Amino acid sequence: MSLFSGSVMKNLEMALDGSALKQKTISNNLANVDTPGYKAKETVFNQEFKKSLHAYRTDQRHFSFGTESSSSFSVREKTNTVMNHNGNNVDVDKEMAELAKNQLYYQTLVQRINGKFNSIKMVVKGGR
Amino acid sequence: MGVFDAMNVSASGLTAQRLRMDVASSNMANVDSTRGEFKNGVWEPYRRKMVVLGSGESSFKNMFNKAVNNGKMAGVKVNGIVNDETPFKTVYQPEHPDANEEGFVQLPNVDPLKEMVDLMSATRSYEANVTALNAAKGMYLKALEIGR
Repeated sequence: MSLFSGSVMKNLEMALDGSALKQKTISNNLANVDTPGYKAKETVFNQEFKKSLHAYRTDQRHFSFGTESSSSFSVREKTNTVMNHNGNNVDVDKEMAELAKNQLYYQTLVQRINGKFNSIKMVVKGGR
Repeated sequence: MGVFDAMNVSASGLTAQRLRMDVASSNMANVDSTRGEFKNGVWEPYRRKMVVLGSGESSFKNMFNKAVNNGKMAGVKVNGIVNDETPFKTVYQPEHPDANEEGFVQLPNVDPLKEMVDLMSATRSYEANVTALNAAKGMYLKALEIGR
């Protein structure tokens, strides 16, 4: 088993990336809270969607596509939201709640990744 | 994706809201200015100004990025400051130096009530952006703790 390229590290890294992107999306929504015609955006994790989208290779020399190359989260426009009179559909309360949630989520991930590093450190130091 | 993108986006929101506040303050200050602009040899009262905001996505670069990959979020952009073209208020005040022959004075089309509402809205949006900025800052600080 390799030390850093295990699935735990990889998953945590991906989740951190996604969380950072989510933070950016929320910031953008809040910055555009008074922009006429602006449509709120959200970051979605499409792990499950990606799993179902598998390219079937009949030959080893074929290129694989669909799953590995692109990222596992994407930004899309929010649907089924209430629209303002000026075409803006940013819900500040919702964005603030999402912000708080995302902050906690990010800190949890950092804590977890630190735990992982500490285990490695302990092994390297021979348990001392 | 840049490291400080989220903070830059929030900062653009802060700047835009501060400008809205400045413009509303200017409108309030000029609520009685009968000599705002000198046009064709006569003084015109001050005209109410409004800030036009746009999501910084309208540039070709951003449109292209949006089509190619997930799209760059560019925060908010001030598209311009426009004049409110509603007619001026007219009051009968014959002793006023800017009164016309019939004794009527034209006053700015500023409604203090409207300005207050605008001011409150700008304040709240500003606060929301500050919160988002602080959240991003906290996250980046936390990320620096990885592996320490």
